[in-house]
Amino acid sequence: MTSGKKRLSYSYYPGCSLHASGREYDISTRALFKALNVGLKEVPDWFCCGATPAHNVDELLSLSLCAKNLSLAEEVEGDLAVACAACFSRLKTTQHHLREDDTKRKQVEIAIDGPAALGKPVKHILEILAREYGLAKLEENIKKPLLGLKVASYYGCLLTRPPGVPELDDCEDPSIMEDILRALGAEPVKWSHRMECCGANFTLSRPGVVLKLSNAILESARLAGADCIMVACPLCHGNLDIRQKEIKEMYGANSSLIGNIFGSDLQQSGDTERRDLPIFYITQLAALAMGVASESLGFESVIIDPKPLLKDKQLL
Amino acid sequence: MHLSNETMNVGFVKKVEALSGSSVRRCFQCGKCSAGCPMSSFMEHPPNRVVRLLQLGQGQRVLAGRSIWYCASCETCTTRCPNKVDLAAIMDALRKLSWDADGPSKESYVQLANRLFIENIRTYGRQYELRLGAIFNMKSGQFLKDLMLGPKLLSKGKLKMFHSKNRNINDIEGIFKRIEEMRKKGEAL
Repeated sequence: MTSGKKRLSYSYYPGCSLHASGREYDISTRALFKALNVGLKEVPDWFCCGATPAHNVDELLSLSLCAKNLSLAEEVEGDLAVACAACFSRLKTTQHHLREDDTKRKQVEIAIDGPAALGKPVKHILEILAREYGLAKLEENIKKPLLGLKVASYYGCLLTRPPGVPELDDCEDPSIMEDILRALGAEPVKWSHRMECCGANFTLSRPGVVLKLSNAILESARLAGADCIMVACPLCHGNLDIRQKEIKEMYGANSSLIGNIFGSDLQQSGDTERRDLPIFYITQLAALAMGVASESLGFESVIIDPKPLLKDKQLL
Repeated sequence: MHLSNETMNVGFVKKVEALSGSSVRRCFQCGKCSAGCPMSSFMEHPPNRVVRLLQLGQGQRVLAGRSIWYCASCETCTTRCPNKVDLAAIMDALRKLSWDADGPSKESYVQLANRLFIENIRTYGRQYELRLGAIFNMKSGQFLKDLMLGPKLLSKGKLKMFHSKNRNINDIEGIFKRIEEMRKKGEAL
C-alpha cells in the first residue's frame, strides 16, 4: 500500500446496495475521499458478493462469487476499499476460509476457473479513515467541527464479528466509530444496543422481525440522549431509516422501553415521545465536518429528514 | 421433550460437522448462544437446543422446524461460545441440508427470498431490488406488502425502475454451472 508522502489510493468495491437503496452512502463516500484527496477507483464489472442469502444456503457459491470479485479487484491498483458491512464481511470471510482450507480453495478455483487471488488487503472505510488516513490528520483538516452533536454509533453485526475474520476492532467492545466521531468534534453517547442486530435482510421476507429489533435499537439510542444514529452499513440504514415511521405506527408515539424500564423519572420529565432520529452514514458526517456542501451528500434520498437537526446544531 | 429412537440419525451430525467445519459434540449446553441471540424469541428451538437435538441425533426435528430460517447470521453465538462451537456455520450447514433435500421446513418466506436473491445474481450480476420485491410479493401472495414504500423509494432514487445485466454475465453463469457439475460428479458437497 502507499505510504509516507505518497498519495493514498484505493480500489473500490461499492456493492449492489450502494448503487441502489444505499446510493447516498456511495455518493458521500466519493465526496469524502475527494475532499481528503484520497484516490478511489471502482473495480470494473464487479457483481453481487452473494451477501447473506448465498452463504445461508450454499457456502461454496458464496465463496466462489467473492473469490471471482477479488480477482476482478486485482485489475485495479491499491488495497480494496469496501463501504458496505455485508460485502466487507463476505470478502474477508472468503479470504479467511480460502487461506485456511485447501479443499475449499481448490473447489473455488475450479468454480471460478482460475487461481484464487487472496493477496490484496480488504479494508473497510472506517479503518482507512481512522488508521491509514489517520485520526490526527482527520482532525487537522476539519473545516466545520460537529460540535454539540450527540451521536449513537451503531456497529451492527458484521463489522466486528466473528473473532479473527473482519479484524476491524474488538468483537464485543469496539471503539473505532467513537474515535472517529471524537476526531470530528462530535459527542459519542454511551448506549446499550450498538452491537445488536437490526434484522438485516429479513426486511424482505419477514419485516415484522425488523420492526421489533430495530425498535429496540432506536429506543435505546433515544434513551441515551442521542440526536441521531451513525451507521456504516446500507442494510442497517435501510431498516432504521426507511422503516422508522412504520415502527412508530406499530409501537405507538410514546416510548414503551423508557416507560417500562426506567419508569418514573423519565416519564415525569415528559421525555417519552418517540422522536424521529435521523440516521447518518459515517461518510456523510465526516464529509460535513470536512466542509463538503450538504447538497452533494445525498440527503435528498433519506426518509427521516436530517436538516432540522443539522440547522439546530448550526451545521448547515 | 419427547425423543424417539426411530428418528435417531447419528450420521446426520457428521454431515453437519463436515459442512460447517465445526464440532457439534463440543457443546456443553451453557446456553450463552441463546442468551445473546437476537432471534431466539422467534424460534421454537433456541440455538442451544438446536445443538442438543443434533447431539441426540434428532436432525430431522431441527430441519422440520423454523428455527434455522430465523437465524439472522449475526455471529453473536459464534463470537461468545466458550467452547469454540461455530454455531453460525452450523446454521448455514443445516439450511443447506434442508435446501438440498427440499425439506419439510415450516418457513417458506425466507427460503423464497433467498432463492430470488440468488436467481437475481445469476440473471443480472448485481441485485435488481425492485424486481426482488415485486416477485417476492407475487410469489408469496402478499400483493399489498410494502405497497406504499415502493413509490416512495422510487421517488427518492433508492429504487431504480430499470436495471441492466453485467457485461461479464457469462462468467457469472460459468461459476453456477461449474459448481453444479462438481456436485453432480460428487466432487463437492
